[in-house]
Amino acid sequence: MSAKQSDSTNKLTAKKLCLYGILTALCIVFGYLESLVSLDFIAPGVKLGLSNAVALLLITKKDLKGAFAVNIARILLCALLFGSPVSLAFSLAGGIASVIFTFLLSKIKYVSVIGLSIAGGVIHNIFQLFVAMIIVGVGAVFYVPVLCITGAVSGALIGIFCSVLLNKLNLLK
Amino acid sequence: MLKKGDGIILLAVVILAVIGFALIKVFSANGNTVTVKEDNKIVYKGSLYENTQIKLEGNTVDISDGYAKMLNADCKNQICVKHKQISKNGESIICLPNRVIVQIN
Repeated sequence: MSAKQSDSTNKLTAKKLCLYGILTALCIVFGYLESLVSLDFIAPGVKLGLSNAVALLLITKKDLKGAFAVNIARILLCALLFGSPVSLAFSLAGGIASVIFTFLLSKIKYVSVIGLSIAGGVIHNIFQLFVAMIIVGVGAVFYVPVLCITGAVSGALIGIFCSVLLNKLNLLK
Repeated sequence: MLKKGDGIILLAVVILAVIGFALIKVFSANGNTVTVKEDNKIVYKGSLYENTQIKLEGNTVDISDGYAKMLNADCKNQICVKHKQISKNGESIICLPNRVIVQIN
């Protein structure tokens, strides 16, 4: 399995290409579902971020390139379909930062998928806050506690979802 | 399922949130001036106790009895209109689609 694993992480095989395509499509469906359900009563702009589960799964399979490719394709397509240039800037900042940070954190073996997901969720929100600060000024800092809590809660939910999935799936074997 | 590192992460997040809350509490004395910005340019600056309405391209800001709020906005999400009225130092109502900021200081 190890030989096959290293082979599959270095080369873009047809099988992996298909998988990325399917995962991107899945992300877009998640994005669409989330655009239907408004959670604005919790805090404006709050989302569960189901599509982050996909990136998280790929990261736990040590496939950083795949996670990046799927995540960026997902963000661009979702912004095109349901978003605006402003929402694109927000998603890109959050998406890229959380993938990088989660990947680095996944190198530490004391952290489980749930912990990765919580950290990723919070980092995602913090980087979106940076974009908000560029657009509207430093006053947006007042949103930090809300972002930490919502990021941690949605991250935990996604993490639990992923750890259940990881036990059932044989993704990228 | 959970490992040691998860606790540390959770602790870091909680600390960050608490620091944020503390900062808000420290700076949340009642303010007395309102600044309205559009596209980062100040379009109105005045007392919070001077009742007035400010008409902008897509938004109307209402200032009355020490509170400021967004009366209406022509944007789709209406987040700024739903935002509660503000009175405290540093609080703000932001309408991202129209790039309008109402701030107390």
